[in-house]
Amino acid sequence: MRRGRELARARGGALLLLLSIGIGLLELVGQLHFSHAAPRLADWEALRPTVERLAQDHPLIIVAPHWAEPNARLAFGDELMPLEHVARADDSGFEQVLQISILGQSAPELRGWQRESELRVGRFQLERWRNPAAEKVLYDFLAHVEPPALDVALEDAVGEHSSPCSFGPARVSNGDLFGHPTFPSPRFSCSSSDWQFVGRTVIEDQQYLPRRCIWAHPPGRGALRLHFDAVPIGRKIRGHGGTPWFFERERRGADILLEVRVGTEVVGTYRHADREGWKPFEFSTERFAGQVLPVEFRVWARSASQREFCFQADTR
Amino acid sequence: MSTTSTPSSTTPPSTLQRWIDRAIGAGLFGGYLGALLSSVENLGYARDEGFYFHAARTYGKWFQLLISDRHEALRRSVIDSYWQENHEHPSLMKSLFALSQRFFEGVLFEERGTAYRFPALVLAALTVLLLFVWGRRAYGRAGGIVAALAFACMPRVFYNSHLACFDLPITAFWVFVVFAYQRSFETRKLRWGLCAGVLYGLALATKHNSWAIPPALCAHVLVQHVLGLRRPWKRNWYRIHIPSALVFMALLSPLLFYGLWPWIWTNTVERLREYVAFHMQHVFYNMEFLGRTYFKPPFPRSYAWLMTLATVPAATLWLAGLGALATLRSYWSERARRRATPESHQDRPPDPTAWPPIDRGARDGAPSLWLLCMLASYSFWWSTSTPIFGGTKHWMPAYPFLALFAGAGFALLQRALARWLERAWAGRFVRYRPLAEAALGASLLSAPLLMTWHSHPWGLSFYTPLVGGAPGAATLGLNRTFWGYTTGALQSDINELAGPDARVYIHDTAMDSFKMLQRDGRLRGDLKPWTTVSGSALALYHHEQHMSRVEHMIWVDYGTVAPVRVGGLDGVPVVYLYQRPQ
Repeated sequence: MRRGRELARARGGALLLLLSIGIGLLELVGQLHFSHAAPRLADWEALRPTVERLAQDHPLIIVAPHWAEPNARLAFGDELMPLEHVARADDSGFEQVLQISILGQSAPELRGWQRESELRVGRFQLERWRNPAAEKVLYDFLAHVEPPALDVALEDAVGEHSSPCSFGPARVSNGDLFGHPTFPSPRFSCSSSDWQFVGRTVIEDQQYLPRRCIWAHPPGRGALRLHFDAVPIGRKIRGHGGTPWFFERERRGADILLEVRVGTEVVGTYRHADREGWKPFEFSTERFAGQVLPVEFRVWARSASQREFCFQADTR
Repeated sequence: MSTTSTPSSTTPPSTLQRWIDRAIGAGLFGGYLGALLSSVENLGYARDEGFYFHAARTYGKWFQLLISDRHEALRRSVIDSYWQENHEHPSLMKSLFALSQRFFEGVLFEERGTAYRFPALVLAALTVLLLFVWGRRAYGRAGGIVAALAFACMPRVFYNSHLACFDLPITAFWVFVVFAYQRSFETRKLRWGLCAGVLYGLALATKHNSWAIPPALCAHVLVQHVLGLRRPWKRNWYRIHIPSALVFMALLSPLLFYGLWPWIWTNTVERLREYVAFHMQHVFYNMEFLGRTYFKPPFPRSYAWLMTLATVPAATLWLAGLGALATLRSYWSERARRRATPESHQDRPPDPTAWPPIDRGARDGAPSLWLLCMLASYSFWWSTSTPIFGGTKHWMPAYPFLALFAGAGFALLQRALARWLERAWAGRFVRYRPLAEAALGASLLSAPLLMTWHSHPWGLSFYTPLVGGAPGAATLGLNRTFWGYTTGALQSDINELAGPDARVYIHDTAMDSFKMLQRDGRLRGDLKPWTTVSGSALALYHHEQHMSRVEHMIWVDYGTVAPVRVGGLDGVPVVYLYQRPQ
């Protein structure tokens, strides 16, 4: 009886030993595996000729997982991954995507898209995807933030008087972590206050992802008016609005309103409240489709304090 | 890894054995200190180090004044003008940094930063040494070695061991105090009590984590008392043994704390209140966890546990788990035996037939003390209002005790191995026991050792294979870095790419940290650290989820989204360098 118990103990001990050694060695193998699993910068750089070949029609390049994107940006440069793509409003306007994935990952935004081709290069998987619901963009307002396409003015509270904002080079400035996004040059400067301008910049959304947009901080009184002169109108005006999430997440300002007019007619008003993040809007312009008309955006808020509003829009 | 007889012999070791232990202890101390010193040069200066360098420099000037003009130095306004610097933390480590710089720069070290860091390095190595000593006492030599190495080979511990900060020092003092307390509890000798009192005073003067030590020790006294109670309970409950350590800690430590911190020599109550309030109402910094940035309560309760699993080697956790279970089982076996016989258990040797055998450590209540210290260190993160911005460093004082349990776990395996060698193949392989033990140790320690070495100089970016390493952690959305220390990893790139007198946007690196890199010759002296992207020629970006906005600022200002250099661990980008296009 006692001998049997001792034998069982010895067997249990041997099992424990084997298990422990197994755990130790498994971790060692795991460490060796995971530390070499992801491609290094040199691998990304070596991939460039292949990507250039596959991206001759300038598709949107998406990297999965997203954390590896800086390696891709370094390796492929602005030519293949321009700011307009990297800080896009969303993917709906893109017809073609080249996904470069590692570690078996896939970009969640491609759900519902159709894969057209795939290529394995070392540790990279390159796939061409087609957007079955791609909408052709007729006019991207972001691409026309300069005269003569755009003129900008501050309107008084009743909308009777307006003072134009002058376009030209201005001092580039940016805060640090707790400061404002980059105020670009050139831009439409509307007052002596640095922040009262219209120009292209990038803000972070609720996922801290970049969103390229038109800075349109509402004024202390009245409204900010952006008048785009000759815009080809389609079935709708679609866009997004938001403020830098780093500040918006703490909810502390008045709602911001963005009114959209085609010709002289208001087609819709977008309201942005704090903590909504980068939010889409869409207004029907069916009745104006096929025409070339002026489009106006008017931005205002009950209180302008910390209303760092930025939006993006296009016609489709 | 071999031991002489039983791993936890209660007989006093022979002179030879004592010398072997001393040699091992010296080897562990020297080896760890050497490893830290040999790897310190390519580790950039963390954000907080910059603040402490500045404070140490200021305190150093006061020490010089104290030597040259004692009366002037002790004037109230003079004390305040020097010691108000960084007065949200006590003074001990910053004073040691200052003294180390004064005496060792140019003598032992060429780099001023290394001279500042040296006291923390020594404390880290002393911790490793003490863990060997304590593990040796409790579970034998092999257990002691494993405890010491298990602690030394935690990547985050290795990273923090390099820094002129307080997190490793308070971890060290925590273990020192608890060891002295344990010896006081065990031997009832006043000198250990006095020792605990002095060490706790130093711990108080190091960092506020020290406030959690007395509750853990008092809980230990109570737990040991309750566990030791025997019938008739009514007659025995009040016969509580309070070790002298607690008395000295109550009486002596506050005096030492007061004496070491000139800032509180005047307006003492008001300034102490301010000190406590600062830490009780600390601002909430941002920290990414599972893809979400937390910046205000409620913080996730799972944070501390998951981060421990993700950053401490699994082999160490496994050993610690085994050790904890084994000591628990030892304790219950011993308790059952005590209940069965009325005589005092203190005087009797352990039961040699018990499996696992009754350890000296278990009999002295050390494991319960270790467990309580671990719980005390982690207890703050049971509250959802405790900030999580410090990553793993804020509960680092738990790790030495985790390592001691790992030592206990190894001792258990050692016994199982001995038993197996005796039985298998009719005991023909018993003579290879030392070799087998060494192989066992190697199988369990090689992964932690490799991980630790591999993690340098990306300590805060490192994650264990349990979460898929650094790439897996990035995919899970665990924080990749903080404190801006990874500038050190790109120092040669900055030197190469920057034009003469170029302005370098330093992002999360503190100004004093950047200047120390220049002072030490690691960055070119003509470079100008710049605090805004605009106006800079080169821009650093240390990736944290909530800081992405800073990178976006660079894109718009520089007109490019392509960094010219990316530094990182295992293919995971951590720090990027941008160059303004010509």
